[in-house]
Amino acid sequence: MQPELTLPKALLGSTFRKTLFDHRRSISWWALAVVGVVVLYSGFWPTVRDNSHQFSTYLESLPEAIRNLIGSDYATPAGYLRSELFSVLGPVLLLVFAIGLGSRSIAGEEEAGTLDLLLSTPVARRRVYLDTFRAMVGLVAVLAALIWLAVEVLGRPFDLTVPMVNLTASVVNLFLLAVSFGALAQAVGAGTGSKGMAIGVAGGAAFVSFLVNTLAVSVDALDPIDLLSPFRYYSGHQPIQTGFHLLDVIVLAGIAMLWVVLGLAAFERRDLVA
Amino acid sequence: MAPVILCDRLTKSYGGDRGVEDLSFEVEAGHVFGYLGPNGAGKTTTIRTLLDLIRPTSGKAEVFGLDARLGRAEIHRRIGYLPGEMALYPRLTGAEYLAFFAALRGGVDDTYVKELADRLDCDLSVRIRTLSHGNRQKVGLIQAFMHRPELLVLDEPTQGLDPLVQRTFHTLLAESRAEGRTVFLSSHDMPEVERLCDRVAILREGRLVADQDIGELKARALRKLEIRFAAPVDAAEFASVTGVREVEAHGDTLSITATGHLDPVIKTAARFEVVSLTSEEPSLEDAFLAFFEGAGRAT
Repeated sequence: MQPELTLPKALLGSTFRKTLFDHRRSISWWALAVVGVVVLYSGFWPTVRDNSHQFSTYLESLPEAIRNLIGSDYATPAGYLRSELFSVLGPVLLLVFAIGLGSRSIAGEEEAGTLDLLLSTPVARRRVYLDTFRAMVGLVAVLAALIWLAVEVLGRPFDLTVPMVNLTASVVNLFLLAVSFGALAQAVGAGTGSKGMAIGVAGGAAFVSFLVNTLAVSVDALDPIDLLSPFRYYSGHQPIQTGFHLLDVIVLAGIAMLWVVLGLAAFERRDLVA
Repeated sequence: MAPVILCDRLTKSYGGDRGVEDLSFEVEAGHVFGYLGPNGAGKTTTIRTLLDLIRPTSGKAEVFGLDARLGRAEIHRRIGYLPGEMALYPRLTGAEYLAFFAALRGGVDDTYVKELADRLDCDLSVRIRTLSHGNRQKVGLIQAFMHRPELLVLDEPTQGLDPLVQRTFHTLLAESRAEGRTVFLSSHDMPEVERLCDRVAILREGRLVADQDIGELKARALRKLEIRFAAPVDAAEFASVTGVREVEAHGDTLSITATGHLDPVIKTAARFEVVSLTSEEPSLEDAFLAFFEGAGRAT
């Protein structure tokens, strides 16, 4: 018997809401992780600042590419945040999260065998694609907002403060960078039906474009290729020190949109894998 | 009235042996249409084409008079589907799963969902991950029936259902039919198809080998006759009679295997003194086998 059958429709009213519902627990763990990282680095800041001349001597001895990657300024909060949070760790955390979500949205369902039934309902392929994309954007935005909030609120007691507009610009770029690779993962997954392929291509592309962007500083031959690297638009102007650069924001958002359009077109045309 | 399902020279090729070729058939409104064939014959391929999950290589597939692709939203609103290899969301409870599908369908009658769950004895408060195969199928069945669709497309629906649930399912199907709904039932369970269906299509290696009313199909099946005569009769007397495939004599009894109308056999027997005559009603299985034996014993 079903003594009190109430279908929880509000929570599961669409593929968008279901995706959020599916990740209600995992997002909490991710939130804990990103906030934890910020707390950890905020705690180290006073020590690093007081010994910054030693760091600087050490950094001088490193190759230019590495110095460009992690920055060479450990004496100011902006330089410290750039080196510790926004150069590697922040992008890695958010990219892993976004690529994971993107690869699951179509390819994950297809491999699990649940996509057939989902698409036997009146819901269009396009709708499922855009709904899960929106959910990915929303969840990445939650993590990005938490990073912003954590630096803004928890950095203060440790004197780790930067102008709010610069912090906002950095977090917006980080958010868009993650979304663009998440969108690539979703597009590859939707075009091939393979989650492994989605993760592989998006993860590989992220690694290569990161590498190209890092090395382009010292290798001039890489400059033309660097124009294709999303990382160039993410960190080329060091927003944590210089604030918003509208063109970078537009390019990053444009890359994400491009993947959505291409992925959607491929998905609409294709036979679903049984 | 337009047929509910229409396939016209439908072909889906994958390059290899799989797929279907040149399928043409219609399913009339209100019929329970059995779609029979061994595994790998192309039953699921046909169904997935009708649902626009895959696109035909050539030919057309129409449902409710609408192209399977162009009219998909309208078609899917009016269709209930139970896939053969059913995968549900393991982390949702039955109630959550059904709520999600109800929402995708723009809402359903909750009391009917509850009624179905009760009749199938399905506990919806449990996570799907922890349900047995049979119980997952119950959730799938409710999902297919809950919006009272005009057309039910069921791919091997009773695989793995326990006999009691199978009976409930058959009742549900009979009710649907009584309400004038159309059912497209793929199966390789002959007794089930024989009991439920009005019309049967048989698929073999991607091609349609039969599309007939059950009665006609059975009429073509091999029928076994045993005739006991007052005195032994020479088997040769029957060997050349129309429809007779085999004759064996055991004393004063002849065992005859024949297809089609039995009139010529009876007329021949009438020339002798008949003591008794027994004939078995051929099953669909006999008809099915007749098709496959005729075609050189498919596996």
